[in-house]
Amino acid sequence: MTGPAIPETPLFDRQGSIRGYKLNKMAMSLGRPENREAFKADEDAFLASYGLSDEEKAAVKARDWHGMVALGGNLFFILKIAAIDPAVMTEIGAAQAQMEHGDFLKQRLGKV
Amino acid sequence: MAKIIGGVGTSHVPSIGIAIDKGLTETPDWKPFFDGYIPGKQWMADQKPDIAVVVFNDHGNTFFLDRVPTFAVGVAESYKPVDEGWGPRAVPDFQGATDLSWHFVDKLVERHFDPMVCREIEVDHGLQVPMELFFGRPENWPVKVVPIWVNTIQYPIPTPQRCWEMGKVLREAIESFPTDERVVIMGTGGLSHQLQGSRAGFLNREADEAWLDGIANDFEKYRDMSREDYVEQFGSEGAELIMWLVMRAAMNPQVELKHRHYYAPASMTGAGMVVLENA
Repeated sequence: MTGPAIPETPLFDRQGSIRGYKLNKMAMSLGRPENREAFKADEDAFLASYGLSDEEKAAVKARDWHGMVALGGNLFFILKIAAIDPAVMTEIGAAQAQMEHGDFLKQRLGKV
Repeated sequence: MAKIIGGVGTSHVPSIGIAIDKGLTETPDWKPFFDGYIPGKQWMADQKPDIAVVVFNDHGNTFFLDRVPTFAVGVAESYKPVDEGWGPRAVPDFQGATDLSWHFVDKLVERHFDPMVCREIEVDHGLQVPMELFFGRPENWPVKVVPIWVNTIQYPIPTPQRCWEMGKVLREAIESFPTDERVVIMGTGGLSHQLQGSRAGFLNREADEAWLDGIANDFEKYRDMSREDYVEQFGSEGAELIMWLVMRAAMNPQVELKHRHYYAPASMTGAGMVVLENA
């Protein structure tokens, strides 16, 4: 796609795909139960086995949803981390917008 | 020849599936959403299709970034629900309409499309949820399926115009398929939502309502819009709406809008459906 970028809207383009490849690959692997068990048993070792950088490891371990996307994580992959360590979608959304959850529900989604 | 009995457009939000799994369909948050699908479900029951062509995108569940087909067509005997991180959902396997799938693949390549052809593959909520919304949760699905995957995750995603052209080939394939089977086409995804970036939580109820009104008989502007227009109006993930164009292009230029429903937000998404019949 060409043309001006849409404000506040990162598209998952080649830069994101290249930058986030390892992080997304790790997250994708959590679609298999044996990998979920390995993640739960020793998260450090599991993340290291995918060659994640220290920054990426820290973002995953902190469940920093904003940070993971900033590092090239794509939400559809990293959502599998939220299946291991349950977080609701709107909390993850609020983290993207860097808003408090209640404010996010009201201001963005129009929830009363 | 096989017959197109209608086209539906519908959201495929994963939370809809979770709401069904957890028995939340009658709760205040979800009841208005599910109630709006009752006429669509009834229409489907009355129309008794044999085959559902389901146009959807995978959400990083079946395809990873190691290989990203712009378009893929399933030709499998059956499709299991994929494990999206929670274990596979307890929905029945989907039987494949194998012969129609292969016939569609033949037509696509004749018409200069180059799909990935998938013989063994699982399906995520993008196909599951539309089937549940229109067929409920039967012991066995009453239709066979032709899954069509459209890449809407990694850019470049296909243009809306390309999706439109694919819909025309789909129609040609169905109408030249030598059986008397009844086929419904389901275009899925959307409506407005954005899950990433600081604009996350973006909803555009006005644009969603206009889409649901316009996709029937005022579709030209949607066919002609750019991908950027879709992202801007409907949000980064709302660009999934380009998949409804495959369905719409397979219908007559004039259609009858039989049913229409809108509810927002379902989780973080403007959600709804239309049911169209050829006029």
